[in-house]
Amino acid sequence: MTKRTWKQTAALLLGGAMLLSACGDGGNSAGNGNSAEPAKSNNGANGANADDKQAEKAKITWLNILHTASPPTDTVLNKIEELTNTDLTFSWVPDASKEERINTSLASDSLADIVTLTILDNSSVRSALKSGMFWDVGPFLDEFENLAQISPDTRTSASIEGKLYGIPFQKAMARNGVVIRKDWLDKLSLPVPKTTDELMNVAKAFTEQDPDGNGQKDTTGFVDRSDLVFGAFKTLGSYFGTPNIWKEENGKAIAEFETESYVNTMNYMKQLYDNGYINQDFAVTAKTDQQQKFAQGKAGIYVGALFDSKNLLNMAKGVQDNMELVMVNDMTAQGQQRAIWSGNNGIGGLLSFPRSEVKDEAELKRVLQFVNDLMSEEAYALMTYGIEGTHYTKDAEQAVTISNTDLWQQEVQPFAASRPKEVGYKIHDADPLKKEADKLIADNANYAVLNPFYSLEAPTWSSQGSELQKIITDATYKYILGKATLDDFKAAIESWKKAGGASVVSEYEAAYAKVQG
Amino acid sequence: MQETVAPQVSLSPARIRKKRAAIPWKEIRRNKLLYLMILPGFLFFIAFKYLPMGGLVIAFQDYQPFLGIKDSPWVGFKHFERLFTEPTFWMLLRNTLVLFFMNIVFFFPLPIILALMLNEVRHRFFKGAVQTIIYIPHFLSWVIIVSICYVFLTVDGGVVNELLAAMGFAKINFLTSAEWLRTMYIGQIIWKELGWSTIIFISAITVVDPQLYEAAEMDGAGRLRKMWHVTLPAIRPVIITLLILKIGSTLDLGFEHMYLLLNSLNREVAEIFDTYIYTAGLKNGQLSYSTTVGLFKGLVGLILVILANKLAKKMGEDGVY
Repeated sequence: MTKRTWKQTAALLLGGAMLLSACGDGGNSAGNGNSAEPAKSNNGANGANADDKQAEKAKITWLNILHTASPPTDTVLNKIEELTNTDLTFSWVPDASKEERINTSLASDSLADIVTLTILDNSSVRSALKSGMFWDVGPFLDEFENLAQISPDTRTSASIEGKLYGIPFQKAMARNGVVIRKDWLDKLSLPVPKTTDELMNVAKAFTEQDPDGNGQKDTTGFVDRSDLVFGAFKTLGSYFGTPNIWKEENGKAIAEFETESYVNTMNYMKQLYDNGYINQDFAVTAKTDQQQKFAQGKAGIYVGALFDSKNLLNMAKGVQDNMELVMVNDMTAQGQQRAIWSGNNGIGGLLSFPRSEVKDEAELKRVLQFVNDLMSEEAYALMTYGIEGTHYTKDAEQAVTISNTDLWQQEVQPFAASRPKEVGYKIHDADPLKKEADKLIADNANYAVLNPFYSLEAPTWSSQGSELQKIITDATYKYILGKATLDDFKAAIESWKKAGGASVVSEYEAAYAKVQG
Repeated sequence: MQETVAPQVSLSPARIRKKRAAIPWKEIRRNKLLYLMILPGFLFFIAFKYLPMGGLVIAFQDYQPFLGIKDSPWVGFKHFERLFTEPTFWMLLRNTLVLFFMNIVFFFPLPIILALMLNEVRHRFFKGAVQTIIYIPHFLSWVIIVSICYVFLTVDGGVVNELLAAMGFAKINFLTSAEWLRTMYIGQIIWKELGWSTIIFISAITVVDPQLYEAAEMDGAGRLRKMWHVTLPAIRPVIITLLILKIGSTLDLGFEHMYLLLNSLNREVAEIFDTYIYTAGLKNGQLSYSTTVGLFKGLVGLILVILANKLAKKMGEDGVY
């Protein structure tokens, strides 16, 4: 008896193992397919094309970050290739998995001519840059018309130990603000709030006074997501005067969460949570759910990137047709100056060129020429709005109206995050809400709070940063949700210091003193 | 296998010794088809399980990808020291072990019970239908299962909380409280894997000799008695083997599953070795350190398997080796 069952089990296990090995193979090739296979087939197709027409087209591969659900089709890509006289091959890395993918690419040296690096404070990215794996492009910039325009400030901010290991992405300095349902404000005869106290009152009224008039108490003031940085928390923090990650005072480094302003912000969020003025599960809500809730009329206050207002309005079409939005970028707390945090000091990352792929200076100059060309007005228009007549129409004032939103989303939007420069072009959006958002974001730059240590180096932070940040993030959430007291929070700061925070502070202070000379 | 082969080759002791040392080509040639069938699995284990083990040496290095294993500096037990002095270490070990034991205690017996129950169902069509239905959740990915639970359990309009509120109870923060994490975790595993895990037990039950049942019936045994005295003892070796195999694999608590459940408010019970390796190793790029953590986890798993195997042998079973 025993023997028979044994044999059966053995057979089953063997079968299982074989099945597994088959699965393993399948998974493997599928995984590779993401990066290698399309690249190959693209290469083949484009190569054939190029041979037919122009042989002198430069072949450039680009390991790039994808912020949309699927990669773009070839329509716009062909135009970009035409414009820059290149033959482009993209390897797309989804934004959500960029850390692991970029890290493994660096570790296995499977890179491309251009590598988009957006996580510059990551330890392996940093040590890769410092190890000399990529070209120092500093000396070459002034040879190219558009690259020469990159301001000295930006170059310094994007440098590591005085060397510029790639072309910095130039983004808007500070893009966050508050988006509020204007029609709800009008219905409850409330003015547009300009202070955090007024905002609290609006949140209260939106929660308790039935702004959608359906006779049910089914709305909240705020709708937020599980993100202390790009969600409401950090922007509200700026209004309360919280520094941007670090504050420098007489050569001393002070972490943002050691300031009173940070505690005030937590208290504000706690008040919102305790009174039910915010969605109660905000600590586990994803961005898409947050935006859906807003679009469905479940909440009236959204704190995030100002240009999200246009998306919110689009999503609300057919669901909340009477939605009107107002954007506020000049909110302050009592006794505070106007301020808004800057994401990475306006630098969205680097376009870097690995020495293993770009072999000599001649090749480097060709690739730099390509990046330079991407910064032209035509390339910007292509990557932002698409092809005139197909994706958009344009009036005499260079104001653009997207004519086919679905097509634009498929074919153009994926390129938007690859633009080396996003500010300072003539062509602009004709949509009033988008135009207003652009204006407010530009206005934000005058009040931007920078991270004074952005370009400095703290080895402990590079290697243990995300673990250290976890301690503070967890403690902040626990405090807001009433699962920890202020003393618990202070204890968390102490354990942060012990776990490595103290060395981060002294490393930054030393690095700062060195730069100041 | 040994029993069947041994009587055929009757050799002098000296020749046996010689035979053992050399590869038995003759026998392989005779059964070449059988060996050919093993080959894919054999190659799989070599390529994906044994060769990568060499990479474990980076746990004793400050590994830097551009230097490679050859040129990265050796640092001895530095990373182990860091792991054992890290304040999170005990939390990780505790969470991993607690979830592991919960998995064994609450999950493991269920498929056996379900298989026994299904065995008692005499209506073939009904039995087949039930089996098919309970297999389905196995084919859903964790993302889907966790998302479904999220939709059901959220306090912002989730069905379960709305129901609680309608019945006059207070809403429960299932998703953001440490107390519910383990229940949710085990519950989801049961829901997803219960049906699928019955397969081997059901097939083991079907080969139980019907004569034994007839004999038991003659002795006046009822359904429960037959289950207890015939079916269970008959599938006991399978149960023990699967238990040991499960102990070996359960320490891999499922990175994907836990990563999806993990948030700032339940981290104290939800952070396990796998999620920690992911944040420290892949996100932060500390390849050597996370290899150390993984190696340690592997050691814990090995100890558990050895203990379980010893225990099985003590209880008079064969064990897996």
